[in-house]
This record gives sequence, structure tokens and C-alpha cells, in this order.
Amino acid sequence: MDETVAEFIKRTILKIPMTEMMTILKAWDFLPENQLQTVNFRQRKESLVQDLVLLCESKRASLRDAALLDIIYTQFHRHQKVWDVFQMSKEPGEDVDLFDMERFKSSFEKILRRALKNVTVSFRDAEENAVWIRIAWGTQYRKPNQYKPVYVVYYSQTPYAFTSFCHLKSNTPLLSQALTVASNHHKIVKMDLRSRYLDSLKAIVFKQYNQLETKFKSDFHGGILAERKEPLRCLIKFSSPHLLEALKSLAPAGIADAPLSPLLTCIPNKGMNYFKIRDK
Amino acid sequence: MEWANDKSKGGVLAHLERLETQMSRSCKNLEDPPRETAESDLGTKIHKLRCLRDKLRAEVKQRQARIKASTANAEPDQTLEISEQEAVGGKEENMKAILQAYRFTGLSGKRTSRGVCVCISTAFEGNLLDSYFVDLVIQKPLRIHHHSVPVFIPLEEISAKYLQTNIQHFLFCLCEYLNAYAGRKYQADQLQRDFAAFLAGPLQRNSLCNLLSFTYKVEPQGRSFPFCARLLYKDLTTTLPTDVTITYQGTDASSTSWEEQRASHENLFFTKPLHQVFTSFARNGERLDMSLVS
Repeated sequence: MDETVAEFIKRTILKIPMTEMMTILKAWDFLPENQLQTVNFRQRKESLVQDLVLLCESKRASLRDAALLDIIYTQFHRHQKVWDVFQMSKEPGEDVDLFDMERFKSSFEKILRRALKNVTVSFRDAEENAVWIRIAWGTQYRKPNQYKPVYVVYYSQTPYAFTSFCHLKSNTPLLSQALTVASNHHKIVKMDLRSRYLDSLKAIVFKQYNQLETKFKSDFHGGILAERKEPLRCLIKFSSPHLLEALKSLAPAGIADAPLSPLLTCIPNKGMNYFKIRDK
Repeated sequence: MEWANDKSKGGVLAHLERLETQMSRSCKNLEDPPRETAESDLGTKIHKLRCLRDKLRAEVKQRQARIKASTANAEPDQTLEISEQEAVGGKEENMKAILQAYRFTGLSGKRTSRGVCVCISTAFEGNLLDSYFVDLVIQKPLRIHHHSVPVFIPLEEISAKYLQTNIQHFLFCLCEYLNAYAGRKYQADQLQRDFAAFLAGPLQRNSLCNLLSFTYKVEPQGRSFPFCARLLYKDLTTTLPTDVTITYQGTDASSTSWEEQRASHENLFFTKPLHQVFTSFARNGERLDMSLVS
């Protein structure tokens, strides 16, 4: 096994918290169950990682296997990344989209490789007909940097792709092109929408609203809030299965003054949560 | 500017609020000279607006009652307001009639304060599947307030074509798409769940379930070489494929019996839902076993 691959696997496994170790290794499915049982999971983490890396060496783990482990780790820790949203569009009146996942993957990889020889592309199918793509960028003269990959999550036959924040902005056009062409779209724009929570972003762009009725809960029974002359200064924590909708309904319910700040109400309507405020 | 120093108090949202009030205050200052009793003036203004709001609400209620009372004749001096109200009222009646007529197709609805919320229940072969809702606001123009339609169903296209001109057709079209999608999904799920033994590898599918690719055997014991199937559903309103390609993977491809089987499979996939095709494979297999025993 290549030294760099061994080091990469070692560093990835070291990141995994002990409570998740078994789950993630099982999801990786590279080290078989019977081999994992021979490992002492109660020892110090550093020694455990050494044992695991030795096992990977004996099974001749490749860069591909290592990249897959990295994807799985990131899937378990998706909140550690900040996700941007790209919106793609087609020409009107196009044929029905017969999305073929295998063709998408090969087309995507081909487009990247044509432009950049040094790039590592890995895929992992996910639930709801989505795919997680991991891209490690290199340059014309340098091998890909495995420690600063970009992730793309794409749900088939939708116009939206979620990408993790990329330090190397210079590769964004190439990534955009690969996504657009491989998924049979024509144009791509970056939305002013950004969050650590993929599920929230999904809910906003896929407009996944349920028919909720959010009731206002108060522990005070009119105590501290009743009969005050001066305004009350306090910190209010809002939690709700659908927070933005609940905030919108505060005004019609007579609890807040209308109109609500458009900064709050435009988030689901316009699909943006990233605002640039300038001096006039 | 002095506000820059206050940035530390209260965080970003508070800061934004301050900017907002700053903006509105500076706009106001250009029009009116500043007054010391500004606060109490605002208080009176709020009170006046609230009274006006209550008055308008009462008026709206009165007019709605009047419309219900005098359906036949329109009073001449209020013709303009009432005819607009009637148009909206008319749309509501129309909606009710459509929903009553379509109840048996899985369409139902309930009145909301703004319009109507339509619920589309999908089904396939007598099995009740997922439900989706579309919350319509009855205004000019008619618009969708909320919905739970999956993002890959072409809702925008269907709305653009029919929502304003023919609500009936809009609902019917959406029903078609959703029922067909639910039916295709049901078949793919059934295949993965109940006939996994017949599949030589994972079932490749997409969000709309309109492209399915899989390798299969006719007998789960694996005596026969696998076939490769590629099913395309180019018509999103149907649950049967528009294109079927079956290829035979075995070595003795020249044998006529394999070619016959391949052709008959193609025909089966064109005409029967997926899980029924595999049920018939399973039944044929049982028949073969029975003949070996006897």
C-alpha cells in the first residue's frame, strides 16, 4: 500500500470518534466482520488506529477505498461543512429527463479528467436517488490534495446541487460545467443560500412543507408579560418543525407586529439566506 | 457615523433591525420636521389604523353576507365590487363541484381561509400509496401557496399551462403525473423487496423511476445465464415502459431458445407491471420443479 494512502487512511480513522468507529467501519465494508472482531476496540485510540491501518495494508487498500471512507466520515459529519446551493436550468420544452446514474457518473468524471489530469473523483450512492461525489483537486504538476476535497450532493432529476465550501475557487467553473453537462442541464447559478444543515437547504429548495400548525407556547401564564409599561428585553429561542413558517404566522396570529421583516419572510420564497448589506 | 459603535449590543439581527429603523427614520426626517411628541403621535396613528382595520373587516363581512343573500340581483350602485366578489365566490363554487366530481379519482379538498387545499391520494392496482397536497390561494391570479409535490414532478410546467385558464385540467394533469410516478415507484420497490433473489445485482433507478436498469435471472437458483434489462418510461403519465431493451449475457447467444426467451421477455415487460412479470417467472419456475418431481 502506498505510503500516502496509508497516511490518509490513518488520519481519516483518527478523526472518527470512538462511539462511531464500529458503525463507520461497517458502513465502509472494506474490512470484513470477522477481521474486525480480531481487533481490540478497548485499547488506546492511537494503538487501535495502528492495528486497523495494518489490516488495511494486508488487504491492499487503494486510494479509491480510502476516498470512500472519507465520504462516509463526511456523511456522518455533514454539519462540519458549510454547504452552498447551485441551481441549474434547462432550455424550455426539452425532452423528458431519462436520468441514468451510471452515465451521469462517467460523464461527470470524464469532463473533469479532460481538463485536469490530477484529480480524484469518487462516488457513493445515497438514499432518495441521490449521489455523494468527492473531488480531490490537483494541478497540472501536483498530485491531488486528499485533505481538502470538495463534496457535491446531487439528487437525480432535480435542478439543485449542494456543494461543500471550496478553498480553491479557481476550480468552481470546471465543477459547475461538469455538473451541468452530466445532468443534462444548460445553465448553472450559485444561489444566495448557505448553511451547515443539508436537510434545511433541501427543505427550502425542494419546498418540502408539511401541513403544520405551530402553536405559541408560553410558560409564563401571563406573569412577567402582563401589565408592563416598559418594553421587555429578553432572549427568545424559537424551535419548531418548520421555524420559518411559524415565524410568518406570528403576525396573523396577532403576536407580532406586521409586517415581519422581509429578511425573514424571503428565505423560503426567494430561496436565499445570504445577504450582502452595503452602505447606500 | 455613531451607529457603528452600537454594533456590539444585541448581535447581528438587532443590528439589522437598527439599520432598518434608521433607514425608515431617515426617510421620514426628509419629509416631516422632528417633533418631541413623535411617540404619542405614532401611538395615535396605530390606534387609528387599528380602528380602520376593524371597520374594513366588518365591511367585508357585511358584503359577504349580502352576496349570499342576493344571488339573483346585483344592486346597481355596488355592481363593481360585488361582481369581483362574485367572481371569487364563483371560483370557489366551481372548485367545490370539481372536487365532488373527482372524489373517486383520489382528489379531495378542504376550504381554507385563503382558498382551498387539494389533497391528491395516489393508488396503484388497488393499493393506496402516498398523498400530496396543493394549497391554492383563490385570487387574481390563482396561485399555489404551499405544496408537497416532489421537486422532480414538473409542477411549474403544469401550472404554467393550466392553472390560470382551466383549474380542472390542472388538477387532472397533476393527478395523472403523481399517480403514474407512484405506480412506477411501487413497481420498482416491489421488485427490490419481493424479487431480490431474481436480481443478479442492484436495481438502478432514478428519482422519477422512469429509467430502470437491472440484471436478472428467470430462476433464483441461478441455473440460467442472466439477462440485462433496460426500461425507459418516456411518458411520465404512464406506469408501463415506452422502451424495453433485453440483452442476453450468456455465451451461447446463437441458440434459438435463448432468443425466443429474450423476445418473449421484452413483450412481457412492455405489457405487464414489473412485479407481475417476475411473479409469472416465479410461477413458471414452480411449474418446472413440479414436472421434475412427477
